[in-house]
Amino acid sequence: MIEVRELTKVYEKEKAVDHLSFTLPEKRCVALLGPNGAGKTTTLKMIAGLITPSSGQVIIEGSHKQDIRPYIGYLPQHPHFYNWMSGKEFLIYVGQLAHLTKKEAKQRADVLLERVGIADAKNRRIGKYSGGMKQRLGIAQAMIHQPKVLMLDEPVSALDPIGRRDVLNLMNELKKETTILYSTHILSDAEEMSDEILLLHKGKAVESGSLEDVKQRHQVQKISLKFSHDLAVYQKRLESLAFVTKSEVEKHVLSLYVTNIQEAREFLLAKASKEKWPLTQFEIGQITLEDLFLKVVNTNAVADHIS
Amino acid sequence: MQDAMTMLQENLAIFAPLIAVQIILSVLALVSLFRTDETNGPKWMWALIILFINTLGPIAYFIFGRRGDV
Amino acid sequence: MQWLTIFRKECLESTRNFKWMWVPLVFILLCIVDPLTTYYLPQILEATGGLPEGSTFEIPTPPPAQVMMMSVVQMNTIGILILALITMGTIAGEKKAGIAELVLVKPVSYLSYVTAKWAAYSLIILASVFVGLLASWYYVNLLFGELAFSSMLVTFLFYGLWMVFLLGISLFMNTLTKSPGLTLFFTMSATIFLSAVSGMLSHLFEWSPAQLTAHLNTYLASGSLPDVIWGATAITIAAIALLLFLATITLKKKELA
Repeated sequence: MIEVRELTKVYEKEKAVDHLSFTLPEKRCVALLGPNGAGKTTTLKMIAGLITPSSGQVIIEGSHKQDIRPYIGYLPQHPHFYNWMSGKEFLIYVGQLAHLTKKEAKQRADVLLERVGIADAKNRRIGKYSGGMKQRLGIAQAMIHQPKVLMLDEPVSALDPIGRRDVLNLMNELKKETTILYSTHILSDAEEMSDEILLLHKGKAVESGSLEDVKQRHQVQKISLKFSHDLAVYQKRLESLAFVTKSEVEKHVLSLYVTNIQEAREFLLAKASKEKWPLTQFEIGQITLEDLFLKVVNTNAVADHIS
Repeated sequence: MQDAMTMLQENLAIFAPLIAVQIILSVLALVSLFRTDETNGPKWMWALIILFINTLGPIAYFIFGRRGDV
Repeated sequence: MQWLTIFRKECLESTRNFKWMWVPLVFILLCIVDPLTTYYLPQILEATGGLPEGSTFEIPTPPPAQVMMMSVVQMNTIGILILALITMGTIAGEKKAGIAELVLVKPVSYLSYVTAKWAAYSLIILASVFVGLLASWYYVNLLFGELAFSSMLVTFLFYGLWMVFLLGISLFMNTLTKSPGLTLFFTMSATIFLSAVSGMLSHLFEWSPAQLTAHLNTYLASGSLPDVIWGATAITIAAIALLLFLATITLKKKELA
């Protein structure tokens, strides 16, 4: 329903975003991941119409619109407001800017203030709001005209743990009714929140798709074991097994890379129960988003280095 | 000096509007100072500037005193 | 509709931060300083002992219209500085603070955004010029002799036009940069440059907006409007439209990144 085609932004020879294409299906929550300078903010701003792309286009509902701003709600990374206005006044103001009538804007403002949980501060001056309250007001203002897509730039990175939890819960609710595209560098949030990810590196999409598919694609044949004692002894014993290709120890966890995960699993579990190993943890393969992130970024970094 | 005082008294009708405008300006600046969250520099400093620097004090406050005006 | 929303918001902002109060008051002070000091100059000189003992010093009383012109000249220096100071952040500051990002990502017409701000500040400045000249007119009549109210009105109309033109310059400069300080510098530089060139080459630039005050001087001295003032008026109105149009274009072009 929103399609980004070959979006490119060049700043003085440097490509901030490089021929980026993807689609945002309806009512999905898509996380835009990537290290600093990967082009996340530039991408969001181009879709929002705040930056003119060097080339490429954004297509909404199958047609290329001159002005896509009516379809988009956008929360910048560091939102600032008119400190002299109250939260409610601000929402009514931006609502009217989005072509709501004053009456509609008022109703919508009240609903949203309730929704994001700052209703009791609605008549207070924004200058007196805390960071978390401003972030919620930021989400409310982005939602004021019921946009098709809600774009949030690092919505939780500046918040304390409680504020972060609140905003994540709010996003979880909002994704039931609208498409969300948000950038983050906090991988656990992405893992928890998003249906799909889009991993950017140097302006290019290096990985994309649903979280499950992506993980599947990068599945590793790995078993992690944690022992309460005698780790070194077990490492020595286990690394000599035929199906183990490599072993490593990190933070008191022994990781075994194996040729056949099924076979290895059965063998190890049987041995463990028979010999009464002092096991405290046994984990199969699952790559975490963090591993994936580092893997993809490092591979690309190496590739860059070679080329 | 004596002359200046008598001159002022004799022409009160002429000077009254001038003095009134200056007083209103100072009062407005003080009200604003009292209500604003943050000033560039300590508030008491601005209070002194508004009170003791005639006309220019309040103007300086309105232009440079407040932070986060927008 | 959307235009009015922005216009109303600007007016509300200027009410809450007291601009609607202090700017007119300062213009009143600017406009009455010269009539008062001119009238009391002999006494002031005497009181401060500026004159040698026994010397007589004849200061001719200027005609009423000329005293009003002194008020205009005062506004033309400090008044312009205040105009530039109060508008230096209206767009540049919003861009710098990131508020413009929130506002312009809504389906807002850039033209409305620029012109509504210009109109809101025009209202403040015109009101300030009006009350300033009114105060000046009051003192001129009180201290120097009769001056027709219509002379004051004509002065207001043409001087107001020049001030509103300067607001156009400030709004345009606002779109060039994110820095309010730089906007102030650009606005003042452009104004001083335009005034200086128009003044030095006045025979070539008689239709320049900056010559409106010179034509007003002629009017106040002679009592009749010089014909060139109409040419200057037309050019000024056209220049305002052009400045606002250019401001819209640059705002759209300059990215809010």
